[in-house]
Amino acid sequence: MEVSTSVFAVSCAGTPTTGIRALQKERQLNQFLAEVERRALRIAEIGVRDRDEALDLVQDAMIKLVRNYSDRGTDEWAPLFYRILQNGVRDWHRRQAVRNRVMVWFGRKPSEDSDYDAIAAAPDTSGRAPDEELQNSEAMQSLETAVHELPARQREAFMLRTFEGLDVAGTAVAMGCSTGSVKTHYSRAVHALREKLEEHRPGDYGPRVGER
Amino acid sequence: MNEQDRTFEIQVKATFDESVGALDAATLSKLNRSRHAALAELQQPRRQWSRWMPATGVAAAALIAVMMLQSPAVFDDVNGPTAVTDMEILLGEDSIEMLEDLEFYSWIDIAESEGDVG
Repeated sequence: MEVSTSVFAVSCAGTPTTGIRALQKERQLNQFLAEVERRALRIAEIGVRDRDEALDLVQDAMIKLVRNYSDRGTDEWAPLFYRILQNGVRDWHRRQAVRNRVMVWFGRKPSEDSDYDAIAAAPDTSGRAPDEELQNSEAMQSLETAVHELPARQREAFMLRTFEGLDVAGTAVAMGCSTGSVKTHYSRAVHALREKLEEHRPGDYGPRVGER
Repeated sequence: MNEQDRTFEIQVKATFDESVGALDAATLSKLNRSRHAALAELQQPRRQWSRWMPATGVAAAALIAVMMLQSPAVFDDVNGPTAVTDMEILLGEDSIEMLEDLEFYSWIDIAESEGDVG
């Protein structure tokens, strides 16, 4: 792990306790961000369907968290980080909508989700049998498309609860809504996804909804 | 949440984790760089501009007052409230882009509520 020399310099200039605390804070933040960054990237990528844009959004969220909330308790970081990230994704969609409107105004074809090449963005699966690789890639592709097609709030609730593993309270903080709303959005998302995924890939995700 | 839903969750999570675990080296390197860029913020001194916010507000108000005194015709009954609204927008924390896009917000609200029903 890299330990910044400038932090050490600050610690020498101030009281030793302050310096140790700063180092400890940096270590905790580094550990937290390293833990969440990969899942956060994939969550953002499903939201915007563009890896480079998703990387930018994750970096923005990291910077804002460190800049504004590093003094908060470590247990608050995950909901706050995802709140920042979700806001970033929403802003991205707003900008995209405006951009598309302007493009239409100038008679150009707006950029669409169909431009997104899920296979090109698929993860590196080297070292696995081709059949297994194809199956995993197809399963992820179907899942990604189905999640992306959910209404925005359902998508957020589902990704934060299932992919990131936030509890209901943490998801509510991240989404800026009540725990009741989280439960409703999440339940609807699960049902919609099960129906959709079973339609396309029967057997991959358990029995059909109607067969229970 | 029943047993089938839980099974579904586990399968979906496994598929997702698989894709997370298989991110390529270039992407991981970019994430690493992003993390270090973010941590570098800890060494940045707090932004000083917030200290000047009250003074900027007072200066802006004084400027408007002077403009109103100099050319009252510009701030007649019709233009006055509009000009004040513009200043609120310019000085407000919300992005101008967001305010320009109210139609989109109303649309997204409707779309979301329809999606919830369905």
